[in-house]
Amino acid sequence: MQACGGVGGVALSHLLGQDGLLAASSSAGGVVLPGRTHHQPRAKNIIYIYLEGGPSQMDLYDPKPMLNQLDGQSLPESMLKNMRFAFLAKESARIMGTPRTFKKYGQCGMELSDLLPHIGSIADDICLVRSMHTDQFNHVPGQLLMNTGSAISGRPSMGSWLSYGLGSGSKNLPEFVVLICVGRGVPGGSASWASGFLPSKYSGVMFRNEGAPVLNLDNPTGFTAAMQERNIRGVAELNALRHAAVRDPEIDSRIAAYELAFRLQSAAPELMDLSGETQATLDLYGVDRTEPKIEGGNQLGGTGLFGTFARNCLMARRLVERGTRVVQVIHASWDHHSRINTDLPHNCLMADQPIAALVKDLKQRGMLDDTLIVCGSEFGRTALGENRPGQRAVTGRDHHPNAFSLWLAGGGIKGGQVVGETDDIAWNVTKDPIHVHDLHATILHQFGFDHTKLTYRFQGRDYRLTDVHGHVVKKLLA
Amino acid sequence: MIDRHPALFRIVTRTGLLMACAATWAARGAEPTKIDFGRDILPILSNNCFHCHGPEDGERKGKLRLDTHAGALGTGKSGATTVVPGKIADSELIQRIISQDDDEVMPPRAAKEKLSLKQIELLTRWVEQGAPWGKFWAFEAPAKPAIPNIENPAAEIQNPVDAFVLARLEKEKLAASPAADRRTLIRRLSLDLTGLPPDLATVDAFVRDTRPDAYERLVDTLLASPHFGERWGRHWLDLARFADSAGYLNDTLRPYAYLYRDWVIDAVNRDVPFDRFTVEQLAGDLLPDATLEQKIATGFHRNSLKNDEAGADLELDRTKAAVDRTATTGAVWLGLTVGCAECHTHKYDPLSHREFYQLYSFFNATAEREISAPRPAELAEFNRKQAAWEKERDRLAAPLRDHVATLVGPPSAAWEAALARPVERWTLLAPEEITTITEDEERIGPPNADGSFTTGARDSVRTRYVAKARVEARGVTGLRLEALADLGGKVGRARTGDFHLAEFSAMLKTPDGAQHKLEFAHARADFETKSAPAKGTLDGDNTTGWSITGKTDAAHVIVFELKSPQDFPAGSQLYVELEHRITGVMTRFRLATTAGVLPLTPDLLPDELVAILDQPAERRTPEQALVVASHVARFSDATGQKLFAPLAAHYSKQPEYPKTAAPILVTHERKTRIHLRGEYQRPGDEVEPGTPAVLPPLRPRGARPDRLDLARWLVDPANPLTARVTVNHVWQHLFGRGLVATVDNFGVLGEPPSHPELLDYLATEFVQLGWSRKQLIRLIVTSATYRQSSVLRQDLAERDPQNVLLARQSRQRLEAEIVRDVFLASSGLLNPRIGGPSIYPALPPFVLAFGRNKSWPETKGPEKYRRGLYIHLRRNVPYPMLATFDASDASVACLHRERSNSPLQALTLLNDPVFVECHERLGEQLAAQPADSTDEARLRHAFERCLSRPPAAAELAAMQRHFDHQLLLAQGDRRLAFVAAARLIMNLDEFITRE
Repeated sequence: MQACGGVGGVALSHLLGQDGLLAASSSAGGVVLPGRTHHQPRAKNIIYIYLEGGPSQMDLYDPKPMLNQLDGQSLPESMLKNMRFAFLAKESARIMGTPRTFKKYGQCGMELSDLLPHIGSIADDICLVRSMHTDQFNHVPGQLLMNTGSAISGRPSMGSWLSYGLGSGSKNLPEFVVLICVGRGVPGGSASWASGFLPSKYSGVMFRNEGAPVLNLDNPTGFTAAMQERNIRGVAELNALRHAAVRDPEIDSRIAAYELAFRLQSAAPELMDLSGETQATLDLYGVDRTEPKIEGGNQLGGTGLFGTFARNCLMARRLVERGTRVVQVIHASWDHHSRINTDLPHNCLMADQPIAALVKDLKQRGMLDDTLIVCGSEFGRTALGENRPGQRAVTGRDHHPNAFSLWLAGGGIKGGQVVGETDDIAWNVTKDPIHVHDLHATILHQFGFDHTKLTYRFQGRDYRLTDVHGHVVKKLLA
Repeated sequence: MIDRHPALFRIVTRTGLLMACAATWAARGAEPTKIDFGRDILPILSNNCFHCHGPEDGERKGKLRLDTHAGALGTGKSGATTVVPGKIADSELIQRIISQDDDEVMPPRAAKEKLSLKQIELLTRWVEQGAPWGKFWAFEAPAKPAIPNIENPAAEIQNPVDAFVLARLEKEKLAASPAADRRTLIRRLSLDLTGLPPDLATVDAFVRDTRPDAYERLVDTLLASPHFGERWGRHWLDLARFADSAGYLNDTLRPYAYLYRDWVIDAVNRDVPFDRFTVEQLAGDLLPDATLEQKIATGFHRNSLKNDEAGADLELDRTKAAVDRTATTGAVWLGLTVGCAECHTHKYDPLSHREFYQLYSFFNATAEREISAPRPAELAEFNRKQAAWEKERDRLAAPLRDHVATLVGPPSAAWEAALARPVERWTLLAPEEITTITEDEERIGPPNADGSFTTGARDSVRTRYVAKARVEARGVTGLRLEALADLGGKVGRARTGDFHLAEFSAMLKTPDGAQHKLEFAHARADFETKSAPAKGTLDGDNTTGWSITGKTDAAHVIVFELKSPQDFPAGSQLYVELEHRITGVMTRFRLATTAGVLPLTPDLLPDELVAILDQPAERRTPEQALVVASHVARFSDATGQKLFAPLAAHYSKQPEYPKTAAPILVTHERKTRIHLRGEYQRPGDEVEPGTPAVLPPLRPRGARPDRLDLARWLVDPANPLTARVTVNHVWQHLFGRGLVATVDNFGVLGEPPSHPELLDYLATEFVQLGWSRKQLIRLIVTSATYRQSSVLRQDLAERDPQNVLLARQSRQRLEAEIVRDVFLASSGLLNPRIGGPSIYPALPPFVLAFGRNKSWPETKGPEKYRRGLYIHLRRNVPYPMLATFDASDASVACLHRERSNSPLQALTLLNDPVFVECHERLGEQLAAQPADSTDEARLRHAFERCLSRPPAAAELAAMQRHFDHQLLLAQGDRRLAFVAAARLIMNLDEFITRE
């Protein structure tokens, strides 16, 4: 059927692949690569760490010594013209310095904040981009643009585009999994991993952090595994009888779907069971860390998650190992309108170690070469302190779309380099600007896709992740 | 054959494709038919050529244009004539498409487009046949075609639908399938028309009904079922992108969105003719003497998403909603991808960038409103409570009234004698309007009759109010602001009843146009707190201001003294601005001026009372005396105050009028400019409302066309698209595939109709049937075509797996909501109540956890067993079961649902608590059957109840075997074994399929 979607060239492989994979007996880990990309891919999997809310670039990634010198001064009118802010009153806002100190890490000498010592230890593996920019200054449109390539909701997420193009790598697990640390909630909701107008099977499947990872995995009370197996066999047998009568191939797919569901029921607990991991690995990720109390109590949310976040980073590796191609790890929130000097360090304490551990772990297992890691958010924050009316003191920063930082690693990315520069207060990009669309084009490129050709026809138009924009940023590539 | 086509011969020789082409011709074994430009040629040109040689000026290459007849007959940059009718060799178009030269060939080698041999052949024959030009088929009004004559006496023809289908099948040398058996038919019809399976008794009755019109009777019964409106209403809600929340960050709930859903269900049940159905939804508010229900119908376009995040660009959001409304209207009624022209002229269809904004201007000139729409039951409930409340009020007021009577005369006079009366007299300002400014939003509201203004319950703490009033006065010395409270109410809107006035300012505009700010010297209030004194309102610092913390039950007053007296000449306008900042806004306020002597006193004596007191006691009327006595009773008499207290408490419990408010669309005139590249901040030329030139002209009622004109234009029988598009939607729901497969695109990039004459027959018939949806459906479902078996014949599996030719029915997995419905119905749990607010079935907390809006007031009791279409649809938190089965995500109009088939669906039907409850309910009923009922009889019963047919012997045997096995595994627990049997049957593909 062509209506709510026709099939673009590349993805036909997937429609066939879905059935193919059920039949194919595969080698290690059940990985079957369709190999129908536009060019030789460099990456096979992606782990996309999304720190929702807009972490402050000048407090983490982009050192700005001038900031403390300019502390308390206002910005010239020319820099504020045409700028919109969520809360900040721009007439009276003043530049806010930072207590953060930066030092050089790795052979490459990448400068990072004192809040990121573990990420510092993988500096030679990561490519830090200081020149990202976006069109959106509010969370939802910003997140939609970052995660779906359009600020309007209803478009497929990047992960959905990838699983549409790639086909499934796993026999037993969903191909696109989302792991979430709840915090205060992800404003864009499921739109960040939904399949939009692509068929729903390309949607990210949200895993729970505890217990059964997907909904409805556990059998009803009283149903033993043996009864479940008998039930599935009964369904298959009676479905087969119906197939003999009406010959609808859809019935075959239904039988296969029940078998896959049954396999998922046993594969999922194995996935979630960390007892096979060594203590060294668990310690590397910091799964058992105790969380320090946050000064002044938990105000923004996003706390109480040290263990969950570490576990999710480890789970990302386990998923990729078992054939899941796209994993999105989300934590909210990094939206530090206030209390930035207490809440940001707390968040970093939570995130820094497990994220670095993931890169190290993948590297020592030889998986980093074909697994792309992206760590980012929807925008950055203002050099101006946030003077939201009614707020007692200025202790945070507002949303800032003009310039922000993120980093990539593995999957054919050239590590140990910093790309792009911003001005003295990280307000505007001064060198190598990279738009969200460019990032998307580059990510697709690493998977062997020409972003202009990975298309899907919907309502009479060939849609793509990058709309009519985007350039592959060769500088990022190894 | 080739002899008769020398040109083709030459081409194929030149291109070395002789063999292939000859084979194609031989296989078809038919005389090539006459080329139809609109059907055969235009789609090729538009798909392959228009991108560079089409309507868009900026994109055109080689100065060649193929979208107009003149362009095609002219010359391009090269000087060669593009098309010379009848002469292939002289036609550059043909020479270029067959060229072997990499630099010459068209489309260029690098392009995505590539012509097939068949397309080259069609273009060649078109030139050879004289290159006739014409309009694209979909833009020509449908004419009622002649009904084909079917000669085969064995053919089953119930109505003209069959003649068209059989004519095509005869051509293809295919036979139609026999009718499905009665059990399949009743299940199919019930699911298609009501979305519910037939119960056993109804199936039996139909199977045994020997009357010749038994089938037609069944159709009529089902069309008359109130569940018909639910089934076909839900189809319409897909087009309406209906949801219970606004999307984006806040995903603000729309608690009364259901009023529109109820309207749709009811309109479909009443079979409101589709033309009226259209007009009411697009312009119900503009109909003469529009009823409440007609206004509710405009809720169709209130389903657009809305971004109300702090700081969001509201104008951008408003224009995006208008774009959505334009694109949705185009997609739903015209079947055109109108939205493509938002940023540039449509690359394929004749729809210019300007024309898009002409359509857009109809929706640009609208505003959103919520109008009170209490449901009859709510009103009855309110009236009941109100009557009871009034009765109690009268009971409490009686002793007070008696007491007040005792205060008339001497007691009042004593009070009056002791009273220090204010020196100054006040003149109330009578504002023409009050503007409410919240963030970027502005609303204008009328003041109350007494000159006061009631603020909005949802006004933000950061709201400013600007009162604009005509004034004429001399020697004004000050202004007064009263914060009023109603009996039993609070004076401010903060949770504590407090308010905080941050700044007070006033500006005078004299008739000569001069404006100046009034300068105030002092502010004095009847009451203030230490931390929020009256003077804070004049210090220019909006972080300080006046509050009345602790005394929130009664009115307060603040006066502002001018630095020097001011004259307000006749015709002056006074603008008074009240800026609130934190805590809360005033509930109700009123402004006045005075020319009194300074210092002004913030006196609480009401003006009305002062006016009475100004008169000598002997000249007051008895009513006036009573007013004075009442005031005494309330404020300075111990007994009176004691009697007042319970009355005030009672007033605070006054029943609230039902809040139910329908979201509707109303007209709000705005000029429209083209948005260059679709960006609203880059305005281009101003445009007037209008419709695309390729379609019949709009016939406005007045000078300036409005939405009502647009709606009537859409359903004007001259419009070539609306009826075709609509019958195609209906056809799709009954066969799984539209006659035009691209239901969302009737433009040149869409697929041509599989049965063009049938489409036009149905479209014209639909209009003749008075746009009756029920009559149209009746026509289709009573056809033999619809009644065919859906068994996939071997020959068709190869020839026509997609069932384009309709030599059988299609077997379709049920839609998400209907999957739920058949479970509930077959288990006996279903609550069939129709309409009303959405329900919240139980949801695992983690599903809600990631959204900002986490409230989910779980529905309990029988309400939770209601049909799937009533499930609360929150855009950011789709109900998992609905999403898993491909329900619409309500972001844009969904014209066609996917029918995916996934492991998550299997897990849902096996283990989702809702479905587990259904397995259990059915299983328990089996276990509880009378002891003399055999296991086999029980299994047979369950099977038949779920699938509307008895099991075949092999099926029954398999069920029995699995049951016995489960009984062993369950260690003899018969209940569990029967639940397992129910779980088995309810997980069969057939159970969630309409065959």
